[in-house]
Amino acid sequence: MQRWIRWILAGACGLLVYALIWPRSATSDAEREARKQGRTVIVYWDRHSGHEHEARRALIHEFNTSQDKVYVRALPIGYNSLMEKLLTSIAGSAPPDVCAIDGGIMAQLVAQGCFATLESFMAGCPSLREERFFPHIWKTVAFDGHVWGIPTTTDTYCLLWNKRAFRKAGLDPDRPPRTLAELEEYAARLTIKDESGIRQIGFLPWQPWDLSHMWGLLFGGTWYDESTGLAVCAGDPNLIRMFAWQRSFAIDPTSDTHPPFALDPEKVMSFQQGFGAYMSANNPFYSGKIAMITEGEWQVTFIPKYAPDLDWGVAAIPTPDGASPRAYGPTCIADCIPAGCRHPEAAWAYLEWFNSPRPDGRPSPASDYNYAIHNIPVRTDEARQARFIGDPRFRPFVDVLFERETVSAPVTPVTQFFMDEIERQRERVIYRKTSPEQALREIQNTVNDHLQLGRALAARTTP
Amino acid sequence: MTRQERRHMRNGLLFASPFLFGFGAFFLYPLVASVYYSFCHYNVIQPPMWIGLENFRELFTRDAVFWKSLYNTLYYTVFSVPLGLAVSIGLALLLNQKVRGMAAYRTVFFLPTIVPMVASAVLWLWVLNPESGLLNETLRQFLRVDGPGWLADEHWAKPSLILMSLWATGGAMVIFLAGLADVPASLYEVAAIDGAGRWAKFRNITLPMLTPTILFNLVMGLIGAFQYFTQVYVMTGGKGGPVDSTMFYALYLYRNSFHYLRMGYASAMAWMLFLLILAATVAVLVSSRRWVYYHGD
Repeated sequence: MQRWIRWILAGACGLLVYALIWPRSATSDAEREARKQGRTVIVYWDRHSGHEHEARRALIHEFNTSQDKVYVRALPIGYNSLMEKLLTSIAGSAPPDVCAIDGGIMAQLVAQGCFATLESFMAGCPSLREERFFPHIWKTVAFDGHVWGIPTTTDTYCLLWNKRAFRKAGLDPDRPPRTLAELEEYAARLTIKDESGIRQIGFLPWQPWDLSHMWGLLFGGTWYDESTGLAVCAGDPNLIRMFAWQRSFAIDPTSDTHPPFALDPEKVMSFQQGFGAYMSANNPFYSGKIAMITEGEWQVTFIPKYAPDLDWGVAAIPTPDGASPRAYGPTCIADCIPAGCRHPEAAWAYLEWFNSPRPDGRPSPASDYNYAIHNIPVRTDEARQARFIGDPRFRPFVDVLFERETVSAPVTPVTQFFMDEIERQRERVIYRKTSPEQALREIQNTVNDHLQLGRALAARTTP
Repeated sequence: MTRQERRHMRNGLLFASPFLFGFGAFFLYPLVASVYYSFCHYNVIQPPMWIGLENFRELFTRDAVFWKSLYNTLYYTVFSVPLGLAVSIGLALLLNQKVRGMAAYRTVFFLPTIVPMVASAVLWLWVLNPESGLLNETLRQFLRVDGPGWLADEHWAKPSLILMSLWATGGAMVIFLAGLADVPASLYEVAAIDGAGRWAKFRNITLPMLTPTILFNLVMGLIGAFQYFTQVYVMTGGKGGPVDSTMFYALYLYRNSFHYLRMGYASAMAWMLFLLILAATVAVLVSSRRWVYYHGD
């Protein structure tokens, strides 16, 4: 018996010792080799995961083998809790050397002093001149007199439709709705219900997630005034119209009449609970549970991967009556150098390589990356490359950015709260807990409260 | 202090040092720091900035979601704790019978308690699915009624979570089983001689003898219910919907700290929660003098 105990204790001690030395042995052979050669090893936090991270990793491998000074180790951090992880790493003085960040939370993190400024590095790099980028993208990373990140990918939304569902409903599978009235009419014809509930949703404005901010802008509304830096949504007739339009998709329990495309929001929620994972064959659009949906250009790689048999089309989102045609560029993903990073020069060497055309004349790795994951390049000339616009399903996404006025999320330190608050109030409107007018007033008041609090505090720190 | 005592003292402290260090660094320091932060604007990276009572003022006067989250949490606590106690006492009584294979039954009822919370939350998402879930399907097949929307319905979302909380009463049940084993058999014999029936025995012997155990489980249940977080975070995607009906206090606290980086505000919320739990616990303990019976007394 005692012998057993001795063995177990010895084993536990062995495990402890192994745990202590493990972090060193966990590095790859290539990285150990790089360290031996005296190269600077930097860490890259990728916001993407899955096949999107693999594409990035392949390019990083190319960088690592293309020169002998810097070695990049890529980690797929994913976008869940990225902010918490980044904050704790900076607070603990162990930040990554480069971190991919959603443009939407960038200003919030900048306000906390999370990033180094990049203009001093950028001077000698022609690929990173402001005029090469989409203007709405550049605004996301360059503000308060500094550049805080290098955009790498961007997105936009279009209307996707399931052609098989169109045929079944007797609609022309090659003719998408062109006006909101048509969208509603199609939605009514494509919605299938029976006694046990919803079988197929024709169209819902808040699928695959809340898009009220986008819809508001497409309706011609204004959420935020850049000159005053305050939310100005209260009383905006276009935003009121937008919320009322979204509400028309939800049945009013107190009324006997409702539009033919309207659904019971509770039934929608329960139907939604049967949806599979977004990045899987059970995505409700792939599995035929939703016939028309507003989605991003990434679907051009997702659909062949997860639902190769889906017969689908893509077109610009119909413009609401009376509004001028707009495209929505929700945000971009940007590579940033966190404050307190240990090897900013090496980090920059990687970023410059990633964003510049290759010496042999091939396009930049950033462009290759966008092509691999089917996101839209952030530089206008790269977005126009034949490989992007030559794809009939990808082209509509690029076209809207060039043909329409592109609007995007406001650059504020409280953008996340702003968007959450819009979503929260949209839900209240749908469930008829509040009116569109009241919802917009509440959004404006709470968001401005937060903005002004932030300003008052900032004024105290900078005398 | 003699030399030997000093040596014992030194050795004692040395052996206790891992705990003392861990307790100080990871519990005491954060606890004290959070009191300070609750009076500050603090976002982890920049040094905290003293703003006095501003966080508390905002909580009480301007934050409607705070009040909603408080209401939701109190609603959940008021229903789930007594219901949980009743169910676990009932189960303990059933599992205290002399039946063959009792060990197996006890294990089965305890099992849900050791299923990881996230896994059980995902499982319950399926059970509560209004369209194809086990619960509504059963109601439809056997009772011919359409079940409610459960988590999809703002009026049923909290009751759904309360129902779900009953699934994991195994921990309290085991403690009640131990409490039942402690009731002297002689009391039942005496009662039987006096002609007491089952109900009279339960009402006048079992229940009074269980009161110390009930007190313990009540206090633990209160603390757990006030801090309810994991399941609702998993089941609503951290959003507290529909229409804020499952926005619980701890969830809102988490959103403020990690989504909006308002650590000072979140610390203020945490201390309000602490005071609330403290008040509830003190109230229960004070009242316990009137209803808890220790049979050593």
